[in-house]
Amino acid sequence: MSTPSYTNKMKKAVQMLFFRRHRQPGVKGWELKRSLGRDYMKVIQILNNRLRDIGMKVKTVYEDQTNREKPTREQLEKARFFVTVSDPSAIDTLSGWRVDDIAALTAAVAYINSKQGKAPRKEVEKLLKEKLPNWRVEKTLNMYIRRGYLDEDEDKILFLGWRSRAEIDQKLLSTLLLKQPTE
Amino acid sequence: MSRRKKIGREYLLRILSLCLSVSKKGVDPFEVEVKKILNSISRYLSEWELPEDFKLDIETLSQLSSIVELQARWIKNLSSSLYVDPLLIELKIKMLSSEQLKTVFAKCWHPIVEMQQLVPKRVKEAIDYWNLLPPTEERWPKLEDQKINGVDQTTFEELKKQGLIAEATFEDSIKEMWEKLKSKGDEVSFWEFIRSDSYEEAAKRAYLTSFLVTYGYATMKIDSLKEQVYLIPFKEQQRKTNRRQGVSIPLSIAKTELNKVREA
Repeated sequence: MSTPSYTNKMKKAVQMLFFRRHRQPGVKGWELKRSLGRDYMKVIQILNNRLRDIGMKVKTVYEDQTNREKPTREQLEKARFFVTVSDPSAIDTLSGWRVDDIAALTAAVAYINSKQGKAPRKEVEKLLKEKLPNWRVEKTLNMYIRRGYLDEDEDKILFLGWRSRAEIDQKLLSTLLLKQPTE
Repeated sequence: MSRRKKIGREYLLRILSLCLSVSKKGVDPFEVEVKKILNSISRYLSEWELPEDFKLDIETLSQLSSIVELQARWIKNLSSSLYVDPLLIELKIKMLSSEQLKTVFAKCWHPIVEMQQLVPKRVKEAIDYWNLLPPTEERWPKLEDQKINGVDQTTFEELKKQGLIAEATFEDSIKEMWEKLKSKGDEVSFWEFIRSDSYEEAAKRAYLTSFLVTYGYATMKIDSLKEQVYLIPFKEQQRKTNRRQGVSIPLSIAKTELNKVREA
């Protein structure tokens, strides 16, 4: 299937997806279309097959924050494409994060997700304060917002940020949380 | 205005506020009893005469329709496999240790993969830039060495006289303007607000006003039909967010414009 033309396009796609071009990582669908042509999704599909062998995949995050089985052309063009690690068990370390920080992020993401994607900051803070000191809660939440894991609006409502949607399997997160045995 | 009309208006405003709060905070949209509210709204319909009343009525209906849409989405989510009871999740989070939460996260985290690379073209650009960059001595000429005969203490008054420190800090000036704006009412004409006897003072007021809006102490409302600009002060400073993109509104404060306002 990967003819010389597609091989060249795939190389171009690799450059676009791996090397950051904007402030945020990832590439928009319309950018891929402009560089790779109308059949850019076919190129992404071929690339995905290749990446799977080395434990990576191309992740598509749609603008309206939903998972789509059959996206339209317009939705794909507006979506952002990232390369992510497909098998989390292959990661040895959690990039030098503190255990507290990861635990708080897990709690915040799972809580916001259970509240249909948005929750007042005060509620999330109250939840985190059960286990973290007050000063640390605010600092930690601000850090997640800066890194793109969370997003906040002018009414102090927290949402899941672009990075959470790209990196965290939310369904699995809730399932695993509920399955975890309590001490 | 009749008592019934007044009650009706207050009712609509209350419903509007409820709808907005429900859609913003993500609480259960079924807390809004749409059918009951629609019945009540229809009872007040015969009272409305002024366009403002009809506008309020339409706005309330529009917000109610958004609530119905939210209710539909809420049911869809409840029936999907993604739904988990928030209370259950909250309870579980409280019961699990940090280490257990970390283990869960590690199993569903797919970090973004990125690479950095320096290409020969970029290296060449950097070398060219470096070669063309003048030495710092040329770019930032040294200040002449000044002889220091002795160190002495000075006062704030002396520094103010010499113009080394300002009478008030910039932040103080903005806050002073904010207080003035709040004291003028809920909606103040921009031109009225910056009006002054001297052009310099008016320009200074306009300059500070621009920061009032930028820093979230007030907002602007533009009436294109009347060609009027209004300032609406906030009771508390609004935090900036990255969800909404700010819009720059250029306003010319030419002397002729200010004279017109002064003469009006």
